Amino acid sequence: MGNINSKGIKDNTYDAIVIGSGISGGWAAKELCEHGIKTLVLERGRNVRHLIDYPTMAKDPWDFPHRNELTLKVKEENPIVSKCYAFREDAMQFFAKDKEHPYIQEKPFDWIRGYQVGGKSLIWARQTQRWSKYDFEGPARDGFAVDWPIRYEDLAPWYSHVEKFVGISGNKDGLETLPDGEFLPPWEMNVVEKSMQKRIMDNYKDRNVIIGRCAHLTQPKEIHLEQVRGQCQARNLCQRGCPFGGYFSSNSSTLPWAAKTGNLTLRPDSVVHSIIYDDKKNMATGVRVIDAHTKVITEYFAKIIFVNAAALNSNLILLNSTSTRFPNGLGNDNGLLGKYVAFQNYRGTLNASMDSFLDSYYYGRRPCAVMMPNFRNVYKQEMDFLRGYMVFFSAYRGGWEHAVAGDQMGETFKQAETEPGNWGVSMMMQGETIPKETNRVSLSKNKKDEWGIPLLSIDVAYDDNDVKSLKDFLIQGAEMLDKAGCKNITSNDSKQAPGLDIHEVGGVRMGKDTKTSLLNKWNQLHECPNVFVTDGACMTSTGTQNPSITFMALTARAANYAVEELKKGNLN
Amino acid sequence: MAIILPAAIVSPDMIFSSCKSAVKDEYFTEENIKLLDEIGETIIPATSTSPGAKAAQIGQFMKVYVTDCYTPDEQSTFWYGINKIKEISSNKYKNQFPKLTLLQKKEILQKFEKDAQEYAKNKKKSTSASGDAVQTGKGNQEAMNEYGGHFYPMVKELTLFGFFTSQPGATKALRYIQTPGSYKGDVPYKEGDKVWAT
Repeated sequence: MGNINSKGIKDNTYDAIVIGSGISGGWAAKELCEHGIKTLVLERGRNVRHLIDYPTMAKDPWDFPHRNELTLKVKEENPIVSKCYAFREDAMQFFAKDKEHPYIQEKPFDWIRGYQVGGKSLIWARQTQRWSKYDFEGPARDGFAVDWPIRYEDLAPWYSHVEKFVGISGNKDGLETLPDGEFLPPWEMNVVEKSMQKRIMDNYKDRNVIIGRCAHLTQPKEIHLEQVRGQCQARNLCQRGCPFGGYFSSNSSTLPWAAKTGNLTLRPDSVVHSIIYDDKKNMATGVRVIDAHTKVITEYFAKIIFVNAAALNSNLILLNSTSTRFPNGLGNDNGLLGKYVAFQNYRGTLNASMDSFLDSYYYGRRPCAVMMPNFRNVYKQEMDFLRGYMVFFSAYRGGWEHAVAGDQMGETFKQAETEPGNWGVSMMMQGETIPKETNRVSLSKNKKDEWGIPLLSIDVAYDDNDVKSLKDFLIQGAEMLDKAGCKNITSNDSKQAPGLDIHEVGGVRMGKDTKTSLLNKWNQLHECPNVFVTDGACMTSTGTQNPSITFMALTARAANYAVEELKKGNLN
Repeated sequence: MAIILPAAIVSPDMIFSSCKSAVKDEYFTEENIKLLDEIGETIIPATSTSPGAKAAQIGQFMKVYVTDCYTPDEQSTFWYGINKIKEISSNKYKNQFPKLTLLQKKEILQKFEKDAQEYAKNKKKSTSASGDAVQTGKGNQEAMNEYGGHFYPMVKELTLFGFFTSQPGATKALRYIQTPGSYKGDVPYKEGDKVWAT
C-alpha cells in the first residue's frame, strides 16, 4: 500500500459502502446515514432523480407514438426483457437492455434488471406482505433447506419499522398465515370480488380472501409528508415514476431522506468489480469500482460494506471478489456461494367470466389485486408436493376491446364498443420454489462484459415439485372460480422461464451453520463479518409472499446491528 | 398468400407483389393514408355523440404503427389487403374507395370481415391436421399467429386500437381520466355510460 497516495485513500474513504441503490440498498443508506455513518452508495447505472428524471410520468396514451406498444426493433434487440409485462414504451428507460448487458443461460432464464439509481424499486409491482412464522419454520420442519437463523419474532419489529416509513395499505385481517402490519387504509374490493370473497370463504374453511397489501399511500401520514410524498392518485402508471410520490421507491423516499442527513455520497455510473479483501487484516477494506463510461478503476474504502446489487448480481460480485484467502469468492469456504438459488412459480393463470352485476362499475385504477394467503402445507406437510402458493385475482369489466355480437362496423358497433363489457375474472399463482444446490449461478470462465467482468452464467430450472404445485393451483383455482359463480373457466400454463417472475433469490443464503450457509443471522458473511448481504441473495427460502418488504426489513435490521457493532469497535 | 378468396379476384401479380418483403415508406402516400382514414371511418364513424376514426388521424397512426411494429410479413399481408380493397372498389364499383357510398364501403369491408371469420375457422380445423395445411406466404407464420393470417383483423384492430387510444377516441367516445385521485369499488352503472379508456 506504500505507493498509493494517502490523500487519495483518505478522499476515497467512508464509514460504509453500499453496493446498489435499489429497494434494499436505499434502506441500508437511510439507516446508516441516520446514525451518522458516512455512507457511499455505488450504483452501476445512471442517476434518476425523483420527478426530474421521470420523462413519461404525465403522458397520455396518445402521446406515445406506438400507444405504449414496443416497436419491432426494440423487440428484436431485447428478446428477453420484452417478455416483461412492464417493459413498454412508457417505462423502457428503466430496464437494462439485453444487448448491453449479456449473460449466459445454461437453461432458459429471463433475467430482468433495472440499472439506474433506484434500481427496480422504480418499476416493481409494489405488493408487500409479511412472512408468517410458518414461512420461517418451513425449511427446517419439512427438511427442504437449512433452517433460517431467525424467526418471525426477530423480524416483526423491523417489518413495523420499514412499513411505517414506506407506507403500506392493507386491511387488518388478523391472519396467522399472513400477519398484519402497520397499515394505511386498505383499497376496496369491487362488487364481484366481494361476492367471490364470500362464496369462496363459505365453501372453504381453510381459505381466506383479502384485499392486497401494497406500498401505496392511501392516506399519507406525517412521516410521508416529511418525505414530500403525497396520496396515491389511483393512476396505476407507477412504473413511469410517480409525480405524487404515491408509491415507495428509493428515488422518492430512502435516498433523498439519506441525503438530507449530509452523510450520503451517491455515486452513479459506478460498476463494482469486486470487494477488496485484506489478507493481513482479515477483513474487507473496500470496493473496486470501474467507471461505467471512462472505464477508469478507482478503489473506495470503508469499515463495513453492504452488498445490495440485487440477488444475482450480489452473487456475481462476491464470486468475483477473489483473494489469497478466498480464491473461490468472498466468504466462500464451503463452496456454496451461488448455489441454492430459488424464485417464484408464476406459470399458472385462470380466466373466467361472471354473469350479472351489470349495474355496478368502478372508478379509478387500483394498484393491487385480491389475494389468498397460502393454504397448502401450512400447519403440516399434507400434499404430494412441498410448500404452496399465494393466489391473486381481480374482477374487471370488459374494455373497448371486448368482443360484441352483431354489426362489426358502423354506428351500432361503435356504440357497443364504447360501453363496458360483462365482468371477467383473472387469477394467478405465486408459488414457492425449493432452493436446490443444482439451481446455481457461476462466473463464465472465458466471457467478459464491456467492463472486463466475467459474465454471469445462470443454471436454474423448474422441478417436479413446481409442476405438482402448478397443477394443484390450476385445479383448486378452477374449483374456487366455479364455486364463486364464475363461468367459462379456462386455465393456462404459460411455461414461462424462471426469472420472469423477477423474484429470484438466494445463492448467499443465511443459516446457522458455517458449513451449509454463507451468512449469519445478522446477514454478515460468516467468514468476513464486515460484509453484509441483505438483498434477495440472502434468502434461505422464498415463501409465497412478494419478497421486497422482507428484504427491506432484513436490511434495516442488519444496518442497525452494524451501527451498534461499529460503535462497540467490533467491526474495525 | 394466406387469404381465402374467390379465385376470380386473386391475381398472380398481386400474390407476387404482396409477398416481396418489407413495405417501403412510400406505400404510405398521402392517397393511401386518405384511403386508410376512409376505411377506419367506415368501421368507427363519427356519430352525433363523438368523432370517428378520421378525426383520430387513423391513417397517420397506421403509418407509424405498421412501419415500426409490424414484421415484414405482417406488412406484406397488410398491403395485400389494402390493394385488394382498392381493386374491388375499382373493378366492382368502378370508383376509388373514398368516393364510394357508405353502403358500398360497408359491403366491401363486411365481405372481408366474413372472409376473415371463415378463414380463421378453416385454419383452426386444418392446422391441427398439418402445421402447414394452410397456404401461407413465405415465412408468414408469425403474421398468422398474431393476426390469424388474414389482413382484415389487422385493419380492424389498428382502427380500434388507434382510435380508442387517441385523444378524441379516449376522451370523447370513452371516458378518460389520467389522475382519478381515488379508487371506488362500487359505482352505479346505467346503460349508456361509457367504458373507461384506461
